[in-house]
Amino acid sequence: MPAVADPSLKQWLLETVQPDEFVEKDLKISGIHFEALVGADKIAGIAREFLKRGYYLESLTAVDFLECFEVVYHFDRQDSNARCCVKILTAKDSGHAPTLSGIYRSALWFEREAHEMFGIVFDGHPNLKNLLLPESSLIHPLLKSFKGEAKGSDVVQSLQLIDEDKRDFELAYPKSISQQGKDYYLNLGPQHPSTHGVLRILLHLNGERVLDGEPILGYSHRHHEKMMEIQNYLACWPNFGRLDYVGAMSYNFGYARLIERAMGVTPPPRVEYIRVIATELNRISSHLLWLGTFLMDLGAMTPFFYCFDEREKILDILEMATGERLTYDYFRFGGLDHDFTPDMAPAIKRFIPEFKMHLREYHQLITKNVIFMKRVHGMGVLSRENALAYGVTGPCLRASGVALDERRRDPYSIYPQLDFDIPVRADGDVFARYQVRMQEMEESLKIITQALEKMPEGPITLGKLPKNVPKGEYYSAVESPRGSFGIYLVSDGSLNPYRIKLRTPSFSNLNSLIDMIPGCFVSDVVAVLGSIDIVLPEIDR
Amino acid sequence: MEVNKDPRFLETQIPSKLVGFFKLDKLLNLARSNSQWPLTFGLACCGIEFMAAGAARFDFDRFGFGVARPSPRQADLMIVAGTISRKMLPCIKTLYDQMPSPKYVIAFGGCAIAGGPFKFPGQYGILEGIDKILPVNVYVPGCPPRPEALIAGILELRRLIQEGKTQGTMSPAVIEDSQDARPAEYKNAMSRAEFRKPPTPAAPIPPAQE
Repeated sequence: MPAVADPSLKQWLLETVQPDEFVEKDLKISGIHFEALVGADKIAGIAREFLKRGYYLESLTAVDFLECFEVVYHFDRQDSNARCCVKILTAKDSGHAPTLSGIYRSALWFEREAHEMFGIVFDGHPNLKNLLLPESSLIHPLLKSFKGEAKGSDVVQSLQLIDEDKRDFELAYPKSISQQGKDYYLNLGPQHPSTHGVLRILLHLNGERVLDGEPILGYSHRHHEKMMEIQNYLACWPNFGRLDYVGAMSYNFGYARLIERAMGVTPPPRVEYIRVIATELNRISSHLLWLGTFLMDLGAMTPFFYCFDEREKILDILEMATGERLTYDYFRFGGLDHDFTPDMAPAIKRFIPEFKMHLREYHQLITKNVIFMKRVHGMGVLSRENALAYGVTGPCLRASGVALDERRRDPYSIYPQLDFDIPVRADGDVFARYQVRMQEMEESLKIITQALEKMPEGPITLGKLPKNVPKGEYYSAVESPRGSFGIYLVSDGSLNPYRIKLRTPSFSNLNSLIDMIPGCFVSDVVAVLGSIDIVLPEIDR
Repeated sequence: MEVNKDPRFLETQIPSKLVGFFKLDKLLNLARSNSQWPLTFGLACCGIEFMAAGAARFDFDRFGFGVARPSPRQADLMIVAGTISRKMLPCIKTLYDQMPSPKYVIAFGGCAIAGGPFKFPGQYGILEGIDKILPVNVYVPGCPPRPEALIAGILELRRLIQEGKTQGTMSPAVIEDSQDARPAEYKNAMSRAEFRKPPTPAAPIPPAQE
């Protein structure tokens, strides 16, 4: 798909809105077409126009400057790479910005995150409280004036939280018992085997039926973004291995792509092939883990063992080159940490037909299983419009009938030279998401086969690169197993990033859960949640 | 022995050691050590390795501790697998309190031991090691540790129980200084006007002062 900026949109923006600043950007380097700085009062009108033209809000964040905050909005289209950036400025002390949550529902969580991290108040937001930090927390950690907390404050604050938690529990518990009527509240998580980590969903129930639910995040918040600001670019690699530990290769790829574009270097051809093979193998292992746990959530224990058995074979192959089982930090700027060992290609070639056979077996076991069909058909429907409003990407979006895949929308690496399809389903229910992922595994096998055939010999590194990234702003996205993973980097030209915003796919995908579960039974919430395929540390970051 | 006064705490521990039933104690410990029931509970990356240890290849059920219970009321072994964020900590303590005694804790992975890669001076998000709040019986290092390491850790715990060396109780938190000596390079905010200026060749950007 060609990358075309929408010329009529640019004209509309220049003539009707008249931005304070307008900069055309080099798409190859910065990842966006243009950037416009507008007055805060105009942003809602712009967002409405963007929505009308089929754009979705890809990311919303803020950057802390000496004299003001910059609130940065990235808009993008689902069918072509038309990413553009709109900014507003807000004052430093008690900065206010208008909310976009009435226009794009994805802004609901983005704005809450910007609120707690920077202290910016989004006027008109319906529920502006802390998202990732504890609710009683008063710090704004991503401010540059926040210089960290004193030694030992982790324990002091944690003990205080334990006390608060106990008190709140005692306050809340008698109230919920004396509540009249049939409806009540139920906490699903944070310790629940089918929330895949530490997600908490506050369900409002009538009997067994869900009236509405609210995901509560932050139980796995590991301050990745603040951490990256104080360490150099090379030291950020392990963070990307631990963001989404199930599909870590794609996150490596995202970071490598961002920095290579910013520096204007292209890795050697062998590196590109190895990267693609490793990423696609990792994608299969990620989908296998999803398949096993998803079916275990539905009550089927056997697929869990089948899938983990296959997954271990992939981990064995990747371990030969990386030395790790899941938190890979294998990529380097312009290269790789290690070359593929000689016995890897034969091992992958042995694995492919074996896995094809097993995939057929899974289909026989699962796809036409009556119990499975009854659990998943027509459940948790996500419409195209809602997917757009929530900024959903990845298999969840493709199951709702939109063929968005970063590997095709904004082709990178060697993906344009490879022949593979993007599986799409129109139903948007749990079964459609299952089908999309099952077919994606086959497509990944196709990619691996082709890449193995064409893989050239050659060096696996570019040699020494500068330690810093040129001053500027960069955005780059890759397709992770869960959707579009974008990184927004503000570099001041020094040895460490000035600001990194991680636009993680599960974050937006999980946000759409609010619309999918009303009307379900509690047991179906687990099925719907499983079908989104979330990884918590990637959401909480 | 200290007895927990919290009414929510299940008092199934043997309160007094005035009379020791040595043979009976040994028998009980033998039984406990051979059927550890871990709590199904993953916090982050290490949780996946915990799952892998229970799945097809590694299958820790071979050793008798494969009955992973989702409810803390039925479990007696807590495997703290992953980063302990400060928001999660009250939940971990609640879970620990809900487990019947005698209970055991394994700190699985770097984060549960001492904060792992997420530890840096002035961090605001995590607790640097679960042993600041809960008593830990066995530490399993790694980031993440391999499933074999978890199995070795549980076998080590089994040995400790059989020798009568552990009995999990609630101990008060110890507030210790973080021993991290890496310098934190916190930046000051830079000027936006300075940042927007087109680059001038060979002129380094002066760091903005607040």
